[in-house]
Amino acid sequence: MSGAEVGQIAMNALLLSGVLAVVALGFALVWGITNIVNLAHGAFIVIGAYVTFGLHDFWSMDPFLSIPISMAALFALGFLIQRALINQIIRAPLLATFLLTFGLESLIVNLLRFFFRADTRSVMTAYSGAALALGPVRVPYIRLGALGVSILLVLLLAAFLTRSRLGRAIRATGMDVDAARLTGVKVATVYAITFGIGAALAGAAGSLLSMIVPFDPNLGGGYTERAFIICVLGGLGNVVNVLAGAAAYSVVEVVVGSRLPAFSQAITFGMLVLLLAVRPQGIAGKAFS
Amino acid sequence: MARAVLLAVVLAALLLVPSLVSPYTLLTYTSALCLALMAQGWNLIGGYTGYAAFGNVAFVGIGAYTTGLLMLSRWHVPFVPALFAAALVSALLATVIGIPVLRLKGHYFAIATLGVAEAFREIASAWDDLTNGATGIDLPVRSDSRFFYYVALALVVGGIVITARLERSKLGYGWVAIREDQDAARMLGIDTTVFKVAAFALSAAFAACAGGIIAYQDIHVAPDDFFKIEYTLQMIIACIIGGTGTVWGPPVGAAVYQLLSTYVWSHFLELHPTVLGVLIILFVVFLPRGLMDLFRRMAAVARGGRFGSDVFLANVRASRLE
Repeated sequence: MSGAEVGQIAMNALLLSGVLAVVALGFALVWGITNIVNLAHGAFIVIGAYVTFGLHDFWSMDPFLSIPISMAALFALGFLIQRALINQIIRAPLLATFLLTFGLESLIVNLLRFFFRADTRSVMTAYSGAALALGPVRVPYIRLGALGVSILLVLLLAAFLTRSRLGRAIRATGMDVDAARLTGVKVATVYAITFGIGAALAGAAGSLLSMIVPFDPNLGGGYTERAFIICVLGGLGNVVNVLAGAAAYSVVEVVVGSRLPAFSQAITFGMLVLLLAVRPQGIAGKAFS
Repeated sequence: MARAVLLAVVLAALLLVPSLVSPYTLLTYTSALCLALMAQGWNLIGGYTGYAAFGNVAFVGIGAYTTGLLMLSRWHVPFVPALFAAALVSALLATVIGIPVLRLKGHYFAIATLGVAEAFREIASAWDDLTNGATGIDLPVRSDSRFFYYVALALVVGGIVITARLERSKLGYGWVAIREDQDAARMLGIDTTVFKVAAFALSAAFAACAGGIIAYQDIHVAPDDFFKIEYTLQMIIACIIGGTGTVWGPPVGAAVYQLLSTYVWSHFLELHPTVLGVLIILFVVFLPRGLMDLFRRMAAVARGGRFGSDVFLANVRASRLE
């Protein structure tokens, strides 16, 4: 490998880790606080991608401007799903919530396929092809912008969770539901808001991905798996853990993807299984604090 | 006594099916039986042992490839021995995979198995020398749909007998103990690893049989047709519909699923997976114990008990967040 190649691989990993951090943060927040592994997370990402695609297609809205809209729409959807559906059976055995979100994923993906067809879409803007040249390393502007948005969202989420009253209520609920209830936290509402925030982050990630990769209704599944792997690598402890997991995973994906593309899934999952076998409880604890 | 008569009538009806329906319709019955087989397998690990295995499709695929490759090999192994060999290979692979993976709990186990299935799909697509890559392999043609139906029926009946025997054995009680409280089970002296690996290996053998039958009937095995997550989903849904951790749940669930699925296919082709999604959600929320539980309650009503909408809301009442 030449120096330029290594530089490009490192840059690609950095650019990928931004979006993956947003994907994984939403997933980790929901998992850490409500103990739900949300298999519909990828489906939320796809909805976000179609929101941006639709707004760009019909009203020529700049894809970056549509991010808040896609986040708001998914927050509302996530809030409703948790409130009306998942809260109803959340204390049932694990398989129940797991299957419920699996059912949701199947439902959402196929409704999208029904309305938008399985055609591959992409959001093309005037600046889509342009790239910054850092010596021999290419940095597409879109990916750079996506990294900027990702950093902004991560900072906003971290500030929200640590500084605001609601954010602290969310963390308290994640640490101890009963104690939080005793201090007057409305757990059902906090769960719904948490799930809504997780969905909103998925929406933002979907909007970003729609500019970066061509997509169809099946885009999401792979991202749910990636989010899970990142959470296992980094742990659910706090925002920094998830960021570290996203960075580590991105390096593996970019390196494996450039060397052995046919076995990328087999290798990443092989690593995951090995890792889990050595540390069955995952790398870090459970609470999102 | 009434039960024995009912069973005899059902079995007689099932034996007569091939003479009553067209060879094409018979394919639907055979698919239902293959699904029942997969569900019976999943029931052992997912139902009795309580481990949410999300990758059993790996063993459907391995069963299909092993059966096909043995029949095509220079020994030209006949179908039935090839099928048994496939079950054995699957069970052995499940043992090797299960020893590390079954140490995981809850979500971690579920996703790890999901990953194992994905990995096998990639291996089957990429290992050109053995599996002929994404193109797949072609099996000898046998256009005798009755043959496949009777093989599948025999295996499902065998599966019912095996499950019923296991349920009342040391192994079965051990599985249920692990499901209810693994630490307590270990304290009782149950070697949880051995028990869990046994459940996983048996479930793989069932899945492999289903895969082998489907492969020979479809005469073509390609990675994407066999290592597809829909199979995993279908076997879990069949178990949930019928009732997990029961002898009759998986076959009943598979029959009901196939009925619904065929109906939806023929009337709303486009919305087929959407309807499946809704079905999963409805069953998980309102009938998580499945139809067998509903039947039991209805039988209790016939003997003078009370039957209310409570049956459907019991789960929500017990597990909602206040």
